Amino acid sequence: MKQYIKIGLGVLLIAAMWAGCKKDYPVDEDGLLITDRAECYVSNFELLGTDFITVRTKNPVIDTIACTIDVEVQFGTDLKNLYPQFSLVTDAKLDPKIVGKVDFSDLEHPKVYTVISGNRKVRKPYTVLITVQEP
Amino acid sequence: MKRKYFHYTAFLLTLILFVTACKEEEYKLPSAGTELKNDCIKRSLGPNLVGLNIEFAYAMALPADKGKIVSAQVEASIAGASSTYLENKSYYTNSGGVDIGIPIGDPSVNEGATTTVTFTRDTSAATLRYFYTIPEEARGKSVSFTFTAKSSDGKTVSQKMGPYEIANMDRTLNLIVKDGDASYISIEDMAVYNAADAASKADKIDLVYLYRGNLNSFTHALVSPGADPQYLPDIALPSGVNKSTKVRKEFGLRDQQLGNPKYGIYIDDVDFKELDLTDVPNYALNLKEEAGAWVETADGTYRAYIFVNKVDNAGKSMTISMKRLKMK
Repeated sequence: MKQYIKIGLGVLLIAAMWAGCKKDYPVDEDGLLITDRAECYVSNFELLGTDFITVRTKNPVIDTIACTIDVEVQFGTDLKNLYPQFSLVTDAKLDPKIVGKVDFSDLEHPKVYTVISGNRKVRKPYTVLITVQEP
Repeated sequence: MKRKYFHYTAFLLTLILFVTACKEEEYKLPSAGTELKNDCIKRSLGPNLVGLNIEFAYAMALPADKGKIVSAQVEASIAGASSTYLENKSYYTNSGGVDIGIPIGDPSVNEGATTTVTFTRDTSAATLRYFYTIPEEARGKSVSFTFTAKSSDGKTVSQKMGPYEIANMDRTLNLIVKDGDASYISIEDMAVYNAADAASKADKIDLVYLYRGNLNSFTHALVSPGADPQYLPDIALPSGVNKSTKVRKEFGLRDQQLGNPKYGIYIDDVDFKELDLTDVPNYALNLKEEAGAWVETADGTYRAYIFVNKVDNAGKSMTISMKRLKMK
């Protein structure tokens, strides 16, 4: 009986040691996983007005080489109160964070958002170029 | 060994005992009351606007062998408008789900803040509906109600309801704005005017309705007279009509009291007070059905929410409804 108990405890101990030696992925300062992915690009871009309806007239043109996002918005769009939405490659994140409405009215100085890859080693600044539709 | 088996068996038996002991109690029918009783529920929902009704259902009953109900009355802390009444019919819901009214007394009589129905039919149980039409005097105040029933055996029973806050805001429904005709909107008057009337009320005109189907992303629009001329194409404004009104587009905010009975959303005074209209434009283009616009007049006196009930592209018109709060 004692022998069986000893064998059982030994098996449990080995199992616990094996489970404890698993590799954990590290997290960054935002609590997001840092992975092995080096891809770094924007896959889609949406722009919503104060009524949370899109103000784009058509799909944006995203140049992943030049790192630009060309988007045409409807005539009369209130550029001071827009809600941008970026779709990024898996595990990437955006800087600065978007926490609410954004003022895009300064067309001379377009806004730049930096995409950071999953492994946090690749950084690509994307420029959002807005044009307003003619009436 | 025997002791071990004894312990295991005792433990199992104890478990079985606990499981079987958790029996559900059988339901017992409640016993009927022996005295006159009453109860009341508020049926209407949403902000209490001046001119609208607060609706209650007041139930009263006593055992048939004790007597019958003689009268029912409601006393409000602020007298209701003249259309306030207590139903003289008692309602029940039939098997088809339809409410059927049975007359049980004379039509109600209003004496000041008290509304009374005198029963003319022998009945020991009734549910009467009370419709309190909110008067102008109650605006911004709170109102309470005392429901009272009397029976033939000399008993009286009462139920207090409230207090209920009465909103400060106003409402208007189904204004029709039409391009080139009644297209000048006054938030103060909660009315629409044509160009000739707008000229005589220039200081009250806050928005102009336009329909421009030939322009990109324009269609139905609410534009301040003081907006950039590119947003006022092909229109000559009457002299003096030049205010710049703040306008913020909205969509899907279907206030039930603005013609959306299917929805349970309400705009109240607090929504106007907490509204942030910083850096908003003075126009809203490309409005669709169920769109809306939060509006603040140029002098900040009024804030309003304009809801688009219906659009008519062929007729170049919209039907709008509005809630408005005087801010100062």
